[in-house]
Amino acid sequence: MRRVCTGIVAALAVCLFMGQAVAEDLQVGFVYVSPVGDAGWSYAHDQGRLAVEAMDGVSTSFVEAVAEGPDSERVILNMARKGYDVIFATSFGYMDPMLKVAGQFPDTVFMHCSGFKLADNMGNYFGRMYQARYLSGMVAGAMTESNTLGYVAAFPIPEVIRGINAFTLGVRAMNPEATVRVVWTKTWYDPATEKEAAKSLLDVGADVIAQHQDSAGPQEAAQERGVYSVGYNSDMSQFAPEAHLTAPIWNWGPFYVATVEKVRSGEWQAEATWPGLAEGIVDLAPIGDMVPQEVKDQVMAKMGAIKGGERVFVGPINDQDGVLKVAEGETMSDEELLGMTWFVEGVIGTTQ
Amino acid sequence: MDIAILIPLLAATVQSGTPILYATLGEIITERSGVLNLGVEGIMIVGALTGFVVSLTTGNPWLAFFAAGAAGCLMAAVHGVVVLLFLGNQVVSGLAITIFGLGLANYFGTPFVGQAAPGFDPFALPILGNIPALGEIFFRHDVLVYISYLLPLAIWLFLYVTRIGLNLRATGEAPVAARAAGIGVVAYRWLGIIMGGFCMGCGGAYLSLAYTHLWTNNLTGGRGWIAVALVIFSFWRPQRAVFGAYLFGGIMAVQLRLQASGTTIPSSLLLMLPYTLTIAVLVFSSWRRGSTGEPAALGTTIEPRQ
Amino acid sequence: MPGMRIIKRQEPLGWRSCLVLLVAIGFSLALGGGLLLVRGVDPVAAMGTLFVGAFGSRYGIEDSALKAIPIFLCSLGVALAFRLRVWNIGAEGQYALGAIGASWLPVAMPDLPAYLLLPSMITMAVVAGGMWGAIPAFFRQKMRTNEIIVTLMMNYIAISLLDYMVYGPWKDPASYGFPMTATFPPAAVVGKIGTTAYSWGLVHAFVLAVLIWVFTTYTRLGYEIKVGGANVRAARYAGIPYDRLVIGVMFLSGALAGWAGFLEASSTLNRLQPSIMANYGYTAIVVAWLARLNPFYIAVASFLLAGLRVGVESLQLDMQVPAAFGLIIEGLVLLSVLAGGFFTTYRVTRR
Repeated sequence: MRRVCTGIVAALAVCLFMGQAVAEDLQVGFVYVSPVGDAGWSYAHDQGRLAVEAMDGVSTSFVEAVAEGPDSERVILNMARKGYDVIFATSFGYMDPMLKVAGQFPDTVFMHCSGFKLADNMGNYFGRMYQARYLSGMVAGAMTESNTLGYVAAFPIPEVIRGINAFTLGVRAMNPEATVRVVWTKTWYDPATEKEAAKSLLDVGADVIAQHQDSAGPQEAAQERGVYSVGYNSDMSQFAPEAHLTAPIWNWGPFYVATVEKVRSGEWQAEATWPGLAEGIVDLAPIGDMVPQEVKDQVMAKMGAIKGGERVFVGPINDQDGVLKVAEGETMSDEELLGMTWFVEGVIGTTQ
Repeated sequence: MDIAILIPLLAATVQSGTPILYATLGEIITERSGVLNLGVEGIMIVGALTGFVVSLTTGNPWLAFFAAGAAGCLMAAVHGVVVLLFLGNQVVSGLAITIFGLGLANYFGTPFVGQAAPGFDPFALPILGNIPALGEIFFRHDVLVYISYLLPLAIWLFLYVTRIGLNLRATGEAPVAARAAGIGVVAYRWLGIIMGGFCMGCGGAYLSLAYTHLWTNNLTGGRGWIAVALVIFSFWRPQRAVFGAYLFGGIMAVQLRLQASGTTIPSSLLLMLPYTLTIAVLVFSSWRRGSTGEPAALGTTIEPRQ
Repeated sequence: MPGMRIIKRQEPLGWRSCLVLLVAIGFSLALGGGLLLVRGVDPVAAMGTLFVGAFGSRYGIEDSALKAIPIFLCSLGVALAFRLRVWNIGAEGQYALGAIGASWLPVAMPDLPAYLLLPSMITMAVVAGGMWGAIPAFFRQKMRTNEIIVTLMMNYIAISLLDYMVYGPWKDPASYGFPMTATFPPAAVVGKIGTTAYSWGLVHAFVLAVLIWVFTTYTRLGYEIKVGGANVRAARYAGIPYDRLVIGVMFLSGALAGWAGFLEASSTLNRLQPSIMANYGYTAIVVAWLARLNPFYIAVASFLLAGLRVGVESLQLDMQVPAAFGLIIEGLVLLSVLAGGFFTTYRVTRR
């Protein structure tokens, strides 16, 4: 028993000591919805965290696999109590819990990813991944011969639906006849199921596979069948060197570093930021050699235009059933994009 | 559904059924010796990680495959220690093995995420692979699928023809009588657990070495639990396990293909299909048949000799 | 083992069984510590952080207690079924159905007054959870279907059903398309006790536990459960309607898990969303067994395992130990306590 007691005392002492040692460091905490080992979403954020960790005078930590709802509130609260200066919460369901905690800790900076609520000390941010998805759709649309593309998707939430729509708009910009078929796996990272989903799309005639999944399972399926694929999250060409056309990728590092820098210099303000291609938070992985040069040029030209301020969701846009949703000349607002729950024309599948 | 869709569907059925088949066969051997092992999920995932890591570091998939089997044996041995040596409850110990195995694999697996390991690739068997339809369905897979065709037969021969298999079954049916007849019942239960663990580990490795060549946390995605269910479904017979595994793999493949062909049924409802059907088949088959073939002493502990 | 003899103990081990328990827990913590060493984490400091995070502060204790409520209720239900030797692995699904049942009224008729809304939410949760428990029991008794498998499969179905509801008919139009119902009206929320952080759910749990304890100890039905669990044939011979008993007990077992689902939806989340599923149903089985199916010990064990979940968060934050470490400890504790149980029923002597 005495050993246990000394153990606890020692632990407390270590904690206190560590607390002192890093007292001058800016402490930055991250909350992830899945394990860092998911190979995708949380992994990408953690790469960003590592960039922050590399900064001088900053120390970081994270808690992974935190369920949305009360669990996340406890974790965020715990971080605030422990004196973390900046807290990044990286899932939609963390929004309300974070707002609650933010009210109790006015001196802590809270940053919520993928939501829309703000407070004096709570900002929100997201990346305009749909811009990169649009470009990847252009590549895919140019490469399809069967005019059927497959999209392996995780869960029918707006972020994913928006991505499918942007991809489809990109595809149809190059190839107005093409359709995109969607299969929901209801998993974020289950390589076998995701690969199987890709195969089911290949079996109905798809010859390019895109994905909103964390694992490279769909890439493997495309490689084995000798068709093309579009990755996600990071450059997935090592998994499918002959199939991989390109991939819309996340690059959170610069954004996180800049945010932490702003907090340190006192310039940080609570605002909604939605950076995109222009800021480098999303990007397109190098386009494969199988893609003809003129397609690459077209995509690069479009990328330049988007970086220069051109919008992706510009009317006229019909929905899946051919009903006009966005009139000629109109553009969708960020709010509409954030809550997008319908498919554009050219998508085959259901949003449930 | 026309034939052009049906053939790839059946081929996919075989492949998605294979990891479950390995695990189901493993559980059958174990349960035939009278030990219930609900730790399949945990054993599979440890096998999957071990196989992946060994393949990544040595570049030798065969070595990796057997290492996965060995890891499965080790995990199963933990179950053996608890239920055979310390006479713990088998249901609870199995559950604990699942929790422990998932924890262990996710704990050590994180650094290996996002890498691709060499594994087994599909190839067409000579002659057989050229048979119309059947060739495409059964004989254009990877070597582990071909092994899984022979495995049920081998296990059937083992259980029903060899002396050891006979004694193992006797241990599962009537351990007291078997002991009286001079059979070392505890040793046979150990054998059942270890052999079963090997198959379960291999089933996990199928996911990380052949089905995909990837590792992520929670790679097994509940397939171990399906295997437990399929044992009962197959009335503890290795030959029937084939149908069970393929039936389940088939429903999964159909579910995805329904979506791909543009159904408007919500995906959550489609995902219930495999589980609902498993229950339906289970209820129907146990209701219709008088005896299910359940080893009479399944789940019992063998009291030490006084 | 050569030279050893295993003898069944004639009288119970008494207080020394506590010692066995402590040694078992110590053993699993030591093994867990070894795994920390592999990652280069100081095990003693880590265990300290784990403990302090879970029980070392007012906050920690509050969090652990709140987290313990759903685990406790599910476990209470599971234990009831286990007592009858019915292997209910389906608390997870029964909990989901309870949450779905409880969410129906606040979503469909949010304007009902509290005195109508809360009781009918509880009724719905209890009935839905209970039915989800009774169905496999019915199959078990009437068609001789294995209840382990059916309850397990029904977990998956329940989770898909919950998904279907929140992605489809019940999705809040104001949630920007995210899968969750609208926030419940205040009348549908089980609130906090006074100004404390503790929810009235704690009182629910306590009252239910007392009722269950009285039920199993003092009523005829409780006695029948005990007899039925010990020996089915004897029970039938004694005229106990065994089939109805099993179905009834499984209904009760599911109802308790359903109640937990109600509390979690109403009190902690204030809405229904997929993240309500947090493996409480499986942890409940661990708890029930660690506690030897005794309601009081179940309370203690659920508090400890809830604390483990809470403490692991601190461990991640302060020492960057992966979340999976919590699972490892949970599994190890269960395995070693299970193995340790051997020494309470047997003794080993030299030949």
